[in-house]
Amino acid sequence: METAIQKDTHSLANAIDIGMLDLKNAEFYVTLGGFTGLKYVGQDYNRITLRRAFPIGNPMEYISVADKDNKEIGMIRSLADLSDKQYSIVLAELEKRYYSPTVYEIRSVKDKLGYVYMELIIGREDSRYKKNCALKDVNKNIRMLDDDRLVITDVDGNRYIVESLSGLDKKSLKRLEPYLF
Amino acid sequence: METYIPDYMLSAFSAQGIDTSKLIYAIHTDSADKDGYSDVYIAVSRENMYVLYGEEKVVKTTGARRIVAVYDAKELEIYPLSELGELTCERLLSTGRLCSEKDDKTSILLVFSIGFLADIERLIKVVQNIRKGAEPLSDVRIDEELFCPKCGTRYPEPERRLCLKCMDKVSITRRLMSFFVHYRKKVAVIFIAMLLGSIFSMISPLVGTKFFFDEVLREDGSYYGAILGAVCLIFLVRVIGVALNIFYSYVLARTVPWIVQDLKLKIFEAMQRLSVGFYTSKRTGNLMNRINQDANNIYWFFVDGLPYVIVNVFTFIGVLILMCMLNIKLALVSLLIIPITIIFFRILWSVFRHFHHKNWVYSSQLNSMLSDSVNGQRVIKAFAREDAETKRFADVSYKQAVVDINATNTGYTAFPLIYLFMFLGQVIVTALGGTMVLEGEITIGTLLTFIAYLSMLYGPLEFMSWVSNWWARCVDSAQRVFEIIDAKPDVTEPDEPIILDRIKGNIELKGVTFEYDPATPVLKGLDLSVKAGQMLGIVGKTGAGKSTMANLIARLYDVNEGSITIDGVNVKQLSLKQLRQSIGIVSQDIYLFIGTIADNIRYARPDASIEDVIRAAKAASAHDFIMALPDAYETKVGAGGQDLSGGEKQRLSIARTILQDPDILILDEATAAMDTETEASIQKALSELQRDRTTLAIAHRLSTLRDADTLAVISDGKVVESGTHKELMQKKGEYHKLYKIQLEGLKVINMDA
Repeated sequence: METAIQKDTHSLANAIDIGMLDLKNAEFYVTLGGFTGLKYVGQDYNRITLRRAFPIGNPMEYISVADKDNKEIGMIRSLADLSDKQYSIVLAELEKRYYSPTVYEIRSVKDKLGYVYMELIIGREDSRYKKNCALKDVNKNIRMLDDDRLVITDVDGNRYIVESLSGLDKKSLKRLEPYLF
Repeated sequence: METYIPDYMLSAFSAQGIDTSKLIYAIHTDSADKDGYSDVYIAVSRENMYVLYGEEKVVKTTGARRIVAVYDAKELEIYPLSELGELTCERLLSTGRLCSEKDDKTSILLVFSIGFLADIERLIKVVQNIRKGAEPLSDVRIDEELFCPKCGTRYPEPERRLCLKCMDKVSITRRLMSFFVHYRKKVAVIFIAMLLGSIFSMISPLVGTKFFFDEVLREDGSYYGAILGAVCLIFLVRVIGVALNIFYSYVLARTVPWIVQDLKLKIFEAMQRLSVGFYTSKRTGNLMNRINQDANNIYWFFVDGLPYVIVNVFTFIGVLILMCMLNIKLALVSLLIIPITIIFFRILWSVFRHFHHKNWVYSSQLNSMLSDSVNGQRVIKAFAREDAETKRFADVSYKQAVVDINATNTGYTAFPLIYLFMFLGQVIVTALGGTMVLEGEITIGTLLTFIAYLSMLYGPLEFMSWVSNWWARCVDSAQRVFEIIDAKPDVTEPDEPIILDRIKGNIELKGVTFEYDPATPVLKGLDLSVKAGQMLGIVGKTGAGKSTMANLIARLYDVNEGSITIDGVNVKQLSLKQLRQSIGIVSQDIYLFIGTIADNIRYARPDASIEDVIRAAKAASAHDFIMALPDAYETKVGAGGQDLSGGEKQRLSIARTILQDPDILILDEATAAMDTETEASIQKALSELQRDRTTLAIAHRLSTLRDADTLAVISDGKVVESGTHKELMQKKGEYHKLYKIQLEGLKVINMDA
């Protein structure tokens, strides 16, 4: 019965051009000011925006490349399709855009009148610092990205990533556990 | 030929000298215009319609039917069908009218209570069938039982066949118990542990008091002076009792949640099976409550209530027996106090119930006011009604406070008084028992044990005086739950569904009549057809039945009369799955489920690739706004997720339909709530979607339908005009009128601008 219902007609979605960049004709470069630019089919975009369509589940594929007015020039199907040099330019730009401090430790979690106050140790591997933040709507703002990753968004919109829940120390995990849904 | 005449009507008509063998169909209704109230029986034969006025008297009898109706006929009217005009039914506020229309003259035949509307409609249908020469009872639903056979009360909902008065609490409980069948071993263990626990609690006074006083402390006792041994025994008995209690509570707490989970799952499954009509009908008002609240009511009764019922009943009986065994005279005196205590408790609980009900009414009023005030703040402020709203709230809140005070005061006064009364009983027993000890009739140990037992009796007494309400609430919840589980969907899969190789999209509606409520038809014999791959624009005023038509094509409801065919096959014969997969509806009401944007777009095709999702979003002009969100396609939407504007949600719903790739597309006011710019962008997406597929576009704004191959104007449930834009403009009818009005409106805007 299932097979009978399957359509053999062309899919409508397939008829639409997804607008992938022709990477052979694309050259990413870094401007003197430190921005990322793109030379593509005779056009020079001296400042581009790179955005991930699936930043959580598929961060290295389906990257949207837009001009400075956020008009999409095209998409990169996979970063793996880029040459090494191009790859590092694009990845550097993406990392800048999607940088969120990593949470290394959760020193305290206090629940007061519907707000949750946290004292976190965040930063990069080589430079860690203490940060106090407040959260509201915890079930929306503490979000599991996958089985082991988690993002915490505070009231100011700052995002902190817990790269590995299982990698957290026991005390931190115990403090965070009541808020994991 | 099939006929339907209930037996009790058959005898009433035959008493009038009518040849009942010729009767085909009969209904029971009422009338208020012939010398007051009458019970009316109407019957039809191929030649005549008989209307019998009279009075139905209810007489009690013995046997299976405890109550029977006896009919006292007063007047008979006979209408030959050949002379009778076309029968119609008119809905008034609380009554309906059966009319006959002939030669532009309408005459009223009967005025009846609104509750009989559906019956009268069925009667009309039968008459129509007879006149057409069709099988008289075809398409007529026969309700054998509309009244409870036990008490004669009409069922509140014919399809429920549930008499709230005669609801069988025992059978509901039995059915509820059937959920325990899977866990019967555990249940048996729990039951045995409970009984053993009760036995140990009961023997505790025997060991702790009688044995200790009479056998250990008295010189003539068998264990005189063995205090350490006696204390150890007392402790051991208590420890075993407590251990058994912990054990059964533990097993119970590990069993009941699974049973409730089974129940919740059953309700949820049943809900998925039911038709849209079930959800829109009033009785489903609080479906969420049913799954959660009712299942929890059942849970708490079984975890908290039932074990105590068993333990208390067992303890009560056991203690009574032990008391009788100890001393029958003292036991009889104690028994006198028991019924009085039960009466006191029952009165008290009924007072409390009254207060609780009042309190519940006020708190629900306060809740609605609160939600009113929170949601309507803009209006409240705009009309400067803050003080008035506060006063409104204060009034109800004051009443609730008064009820609270009364309830608390009653509790604080009545309970100590009852306990005092119970103590009085104990005093009488002590006085009598004391005398008996002095006279050497009983030992001091027996008296003390007896008093200990007496106090053990009051706990179960108090509990049992109110547990019946708890049980009633649990049965009520269970009933509501079973009602969903048992409900039959209105739209069902045919026995042998037809699966087409490919749906081309030729749609034809022939004489479609549909009503949500009896005698208020929304569609009245609507005829319409769309050729495969064409676009049909449907125009009409609000309430003309446009959206209903879309719902009928997708078989969310079934037509009352007429037929809808797709590629020549009646939709009722098509496989529901194929039908629904082949029809894509983009409507004004958009629902996004909890999940990511990508999940929502993929809803119709969970296996769609990432590229398909992006393509669909691009086609629906949704890609740009999605990419502007921090988590792009992985943004959480739905309840508790990212807020999206109406236009954004609409574009997601179009993307969802694009990915579904339906053979037939229904656009139901898809852009009605959008601003002009958003509409233009969505229109672009829609025209992409419409290409080469049968499209039914329903719209207010005629500009939306400019690409339509044909247009149909629906008014009052019928197609009044159809043709191309050019043809309809030349016709200068309804469409022309609507077009002119909208054009004028645009001109005014231009002039102002």
